[in-house]
Amino acid sequence: MPKSPLPLNNNYSSYKIDVPFVAPRSKLCASTSIEMVSSYWQSMTPYVPRLSLLELDERTLIPAKGGTLQIELMAAARANGLLVYPIEPTFDALFAELSERHPVIVLVNRSFSWYPLWHYAPITGYDAKAQTILTHFGDEPNEAVPIATFGELWKRSDNWGVALLPPGRLPASVSAKVFLRAAYDFEKTGMTNEAIIAYETALSRWPDYVPLLFALGNAYYNSHRISKAEEVYRYILLIDSKYPYALNNLADLLFHTQRSEEALKLLDRVITDDVEIQTLIKNTRKEIKAKKI
Amino acid sequence: MKVSKLVLSFILSISLFTQILSAQVVSTGAILGRHSIMDSSKEKLVQIIARQDVAKRFQELGVDSKAIEARVASMTDEEASKIALQIDMLPAGADAGASVLGTIVFIFLVLLFTDIIGVTKVFSFTKSINN
Repeated sequence: MPKSPLPLNNNYSSYKIDVPFVAPRSKLCASTSIEMVSSYWQSMTPYVPRLSLLELDERTLIPAKGGTLQIELMAAARANGLLVYPIEPTFDALFAELSERHPVIVLVNRSFSWYPLWHYAPITGYDAKAQTILTHFGDEPNEAVPIATFGELWKRSDNWGVALLPPGRLPASVSAKVFLRAAYDFEKTGMTNEAIIAYETALSRWPDYVPLLFALGNAYYNSHRISKAEEVYRYILLIDSKYPYALNNLADLLFHTQRSEEALKLLDRVITDDVEIQTLIKNTRKEIKAKKI
Repeated sequence: MKVSKLVLSFILSISLFTQILSAQVVSTGAILGRHSIMDSSKEKLVQIIARQDVAKRFQELGVDSKAIEARVASMTDEEASKIALQIDMLPAGADAGASVLGTIVFIFLVLLFTDIIGVTKVFSFTKSINN
């Protein structure tokens, strides 16, 4: 019999998250898991899913593989308007999300590596007294799986799990950098509004984290909210007056809003040994001078 | 052969050269260390090829052709590259039902046993003894 994977004397308490249950359909556990977590957030927050269950099915199944790749689960969940936050592969991280009522979708291997049966399921809670994980694993809602068994199944995917969150919510076990990457993934797939909401939300926790501010400034600039972008770039320079990327991008913005003189002055403030940055600044300066009005 | 390589490198050098001449805004990706400050044309080309590879492989694996475009478009550059390189090795989560290989009784019995002692969860009718 497997041993409990939890540290001795842990003080994980019981949680039960009210995640709507969707009955399993063969080969579509990824799509079904996203649907369950999406409807949970829809019932809790103003979040509205962008895709129907049918669209989720179409975006996740690879017929010849009879299942869904982790990347496609993440891409489909993001396309559905949810931020995809990969949790640290630990029980601590899993329980941290559960304690804030964030369901986590895990990948497990129900069998052994020589005959793998991969499966996705949302974790919906924990029963500390019975030592069971609650999960919409299969046919019955909130199935209680002994923590030891769950530990064995989860270990086989290297404890892979993602929290799917509306862009206005922060994960519990959050790293600023991992969150920024997850939010930027929205932008890279054309969902700039979601990205902006996520950046703005994250600023409440890290108001002076320069890469985050820079991402927000860029997102405003890319979506033509010029005065907002200018405000954010200038705020970065209050924190770090020599931050070359903000100096460069603000110079570009000023140039495009007929303020070339100030733009050139900003570029003069860049001091760096980095050849790539020097080239960048040189090019920006050249362009401004060439087209100066 | 030599000529075509020459032509190719000429085209590539022009495209890289023009890239360097035009000023540009530094993207968020550049500071996250995902690509160089100035997006090179070469990186963009690699991306286009990776996405084409994924689309082709999806078609071979029976993905509905209407959905392929949306699926590839919803991936980030890193995700598309990873799938292009490793699609045959990546695990695919499937379902929770019992999928017994009818002929292999041995596997059935082994997994039945391991289900009962609680190290696997293959069949929905088993309850592990530490439950």
